[in-house]
Amino acid sequence: MPKKIMVVDDDPDIVDYLVSVFEDHGYDTCRASDGISAYEVAMAEKPDLITLDIEMPHEWGPRFYRRLTSEKEFSDIPVIVISGLSGIHLAIRRAVATIKKPFDPAEVIQIVREALGE
Amino acid sequence: MDFRKLLLVDDEEGVRRFLGLSLMDLGYEVKTASNGREALAVFEEFQPNIVFTDIKMPVMDGIELLRIIKEKSPDTEVVMITGHGDLDLAIESLKFDASDFITKPINNDVLEVSLERARERFTMKCALREHTENLERLVEEKTSRIVELERQNAACQVVNGLSSALESASREVETGSGLFNELPCLVSIHNRYLEIVAHNTLFEERLGNHVGDNSFDIYSDRTSPGNACPVQRTFQTGKGQRSRETFLGKDGEEIPVTVYTAPIPNKDGEIELVLDISVDMSEVTRLKDELFATRYKYQRLFDEAPCYITVQDADLAIVEANRLFKRDFGEVEGHFCFEAYKHRSEPCEGCLVDKTLLDGEARQRETVVTTLSGERKHMLVQSAPLHDASGRVIQAMELSTDITEIRRLQDHLTSLGIMLGSMSHGVKGMLTSLDGGIYRLESGLKKGDAERVDAATKTLKAMIGRVKKMVLDILYYAKSRELETEAVDAAAFLRETAAVGAAKAASAGVEFVEDVPEGLGEIKADTAALSAALVNFLENGVDACEGRGADGGGRLSLSARREGDNLVVTIADNGMGMDRETREKIFTLFFSSKGKRGTGIGLFISNQTIEQHGGAIAVDSAPHKGTTFTITLPRGPAR
Repeated sequence: MPKKIMVVDDDPDIVDYLVSVFEDHGYDTCRASDGISAYEVAMAEKPDLITLDIEMPHEWGPRFYRRLTSEKEFSDIPVIVISGLSGIHLAIRRAVATIKKPFDPAEVIQIVREALGE
Repeated sequence: MDFRKLLLVDDEEGVRRFLGLSLMDLGYEVKTASNGREALAVFEEFQPNIVFTDIKMPVMDGIELLRIIKEKSPDTEVVMITGHGDLDLAIESLKFDASDFITKPINNDVLEVSLERARERFTMKCALREHTENLERLVEEKTSRIVELERQNAACQVVNGLSSALESASREVETGSGLFNELPCLVSIHNRYLEIVAHNTLFEERLGNHVGDNSFDIYSDRTSPGNACPVQRTFQTGKGQRSRETFLGKDGEEIPVTVYTAPIPNKDGEIELVLDISVDMSEVTRLKDELFATRYKYQRLFDEAPCYITVQDADLAIVEANRLFKRDFGEVEGHFCFEAYKHRSEPCEGCLVDKTLLDGEARQRETVVTTLSGERKHMLVQSAPLHDASGRVIQAMELSTDITEIRRLQDHLTSLGIMLGSMSHGVKGMLTSLDGGIYRLESGLKKGDAERVDAATKTLKAMIGRVKKMVLDILYYAKSRELETEAVDAAAFLRETAAVGAAKAASAGVEFVEDVPEGLGEIKADTAALSAALVNFLENGVDACEGRGADGGGRLSLSARREGDNLVVTIADNGMGMDRETREKIFTLFFSSKGKRGTGIGLFISNQTIEQHGGAIAVDSAPHKGTTFTITLPRGPAR
């Protein structure tokens, strides 16, 4: 059964982009446009990995991350930060990787595979 | 005193001659008379110290003479000369205070002894009189000493009375003790007979020496007692008086004064003296004028300062505002600063004055305000504490300097670097979206996924539009453009511009209404720049309606009309609207309410362009109601 990746970003074009990339590489996906909805989606969809933007309306990425990982079932979920903000590599310490926009899709896939132990 | 003059009275010529000679030999100055009456005449003129007189004489006898002389001059020694058988008469004469008697025929030795005794008696009497007189003088000396002591005692009371009078006088001169100390006071002390007992030097300088004069003599209009001068009233009522009077100066000039009096009682509580302290009102008037001039000067400085100044109390109500502030914000005294200055209903977040009132520290920050005439100004606001006498912060002063021009220059000089920095985030997002569009277009084509290709194409179009606009904004801003004006038909120009907005509105599902009548005449404009400026407003209108969704009833309109020489363009939307703060900042460089989608350049440039055309923009907006921009353009550009 394919792994499921949740894409969180407030720019729908970028969400479309990442979702397309992941689906083209055989992953299942789900999406959210801000921290609050991302929490609900995660609860419903139980993703295996998350790509997370930092600056979003309503709730920023780091806060969502803390809230989600305080749930036992998500305490070890791998998160890849994808953001345009500079100096963000420490925003989420336990992130498996921090990718700056604009990114290379092949690099993203590489990191996802490593993170999922494939 | 001499004992030399001698009057010899006898009816016998022979006696007068030889006895007279004998007496002259003894060193006496001798005059003679033949009877009592004659003797009295000589006595008056000669004033002898001693009289020798026979008892039995015609016309007036010796006894009678003795009586009259003793009556007139008790000190004069009278020695009686008696014949034998006159002893009874001689003894009687002693009753009338005769000094001695000698008998005829006169023995020279007896005469000498008698003279010597008379002389002694005379000298003793003189000494006694002198002694008596001395005693009187001594008594007088002692008495005056006692009076002096009394006076010193009174002076002590005067000092006490003086200080309390000064105190009350200084209280009554409203301008405070500081001023009173500089006041020239004419101080005098009066006794109960309404006489001036003493006065100070200044009194003497101004009015002359009046010690011993009547209390009322110093007034120009009180010439007799019973005219109720303040001193008299003080004695009558026993209470200090205060009144306006006019003194007569040394050279006859009138000196207006305010007279303060204080009763000075003696130990028995009776009013002994009255202290009069008079303040020269002409001097007070001069000082008041000086004070007034100083105040006026500060008021003028306050008013004419080329910045806004307000003084605010603890609840941020404006106590005082300078002229410039009132000109631009109206009669604001008594209103809250946030109402009058920032048009808010509650205190501004992070209010400087509030913090200054709390900790007494001065602060500054920048803000944007809008004057009554709708002018937007960029202000540097500074706050400073105002202390009361005890050092407590009671009010704060807020001083705002118009830095609009400085900001404009600064903006221009530093903008490009800041702009690129502040936009890099947005640019990265756009580039990523472009990458995404290309990826999805390619992969869609490869897979033959028409839906994906369509979506990708739409994304790419939108992104390229955004990138283009941003690049154009930057290019426009980076270059200080001169207007290239041409005369064009206003209606045609506006319709072309509206078409751009209509396209954007359509793609966002916003209804677009255009109301541009024919016959608006010509307008002289840089069409490229002006069109871009208006399109900015239209695009913002579409963005403002975005929250309503594709079929949320968003509506955008552009209408135009002539008003005299002006062309008035109105662009209205029914989108999210703006609060006052946002409304005041929209034309500020890099201010954007659109988060990462806005550059903060668009409306800044629009505003600049319309100003360059000599036009003006009015904004009417309320949250959730929508926004209306009214752009007024003159027939030709201002510059």
